[in-house]
Amino acid sequence: MIQNFILMNGYGFFVWLSFAITFLACGIVYYKTYKTLKKYEKDFAKELDQLSETERKLVLDKSKVASQFLASYNKSI
Amino acid sequence: MFDLINPSRIFNWIEKLINFINSIFFILLIIALTFALILSPPDYLQGDSVRIMYVHVPSAWIGLASFSVIALLSILNFVFKIKNLNLITKSIAPIGLLFTCIAIITGSLWGQPTWGTWWVWDARITSMLVLSIFYILFILAHKLIESEGKANKVANLIAIIGSINIPVIRYSVDWWNTLHQPSSIKIDGTSSIHPSMLLPLILMLLVLLLYCALILLMKYKTEIIRIKKKNIKRI
Repeated sequence: MIQNFILMNGYGFFVWLSFAITFLACGIVYYKTYKTLKKYEKDFAKELDQLSETERKLVLDKSKVASQFLASYNKSI
Repeated sequence: MFDLINPSRIFNWIEKLINFINSIFFILLIIALTFALILSPPDYLQGDSVRIMYVHVPSAWIGLASFSVIALLSILNFVFKIKNLNLITKSIAPIGLLFTCIAIITGSLWGQPTWGTWWVWDARITSMLVLSIFYILFILAHKLIESEGKANKVANLIAIIGSINIPVIRYSVDWWNTLHQPSSIKIDGTSSIHPSMLLPLILMLLVLLLYCALILLMKYKTEIIRIKKKNIKRI
């Protein structure tokens, strides 16, 4: 039964390769996207950290995204 | 209406949505794969090779739909000049390219046992190849043109010109005598596909759409952070 499932009546090579290519490509794109996002998050947090206290306060007051980002980033680390 | 896609309004939701999709994705994937590879019956003519349809068809739909969305947003961007739309189209393009390439490759893998050839210059297949070229041009415009404003304009123009190819892909099997079979699934309810094959197809489409949403959200978040990072001193 397992052999039938793997061989798929002679079409196993085409079926398994199709699924493998699809999920491998999706996996690679996911990994690359995730890595890039984390890199940008880390760099942005580092830049916010390098600002003086007053500059940072000004940035966080003026930019909703920066304040939301910092809140979620601090929670995740 | 366009304020709804304002980054500061949706930034908080992006993380929550990513977590939600991550939590249900693998359960849905296992269910969809079980139906696609085990529970669905082989075709009376094509045998088990029909299972390639469960990755090929949703991929082609997503590739086509992504470009339609990009073209529509590009037109809206030309009319209303909304910067956020550029962030969205830029985030969708790699997903569209990925699925167009998957559709072409899996189509080739399906073509070999069914038609006896890996490739033919058939109207549907060739127009899908043209679609992938438009995706590449769109992405290259953003990567190679340094001025962001100019890059957006060129990319939008490529998307609008490329949209001519969308009806060609959709109706190529009706307009020309092609090797590629006509659509088995129609919105008007006259589908010729059996429900035992339609269910796995819909499940796989749902899984791949969730994956697209996940990548889109991550790419959109990256773009927002990139812009905020660039403008940090100007905030």
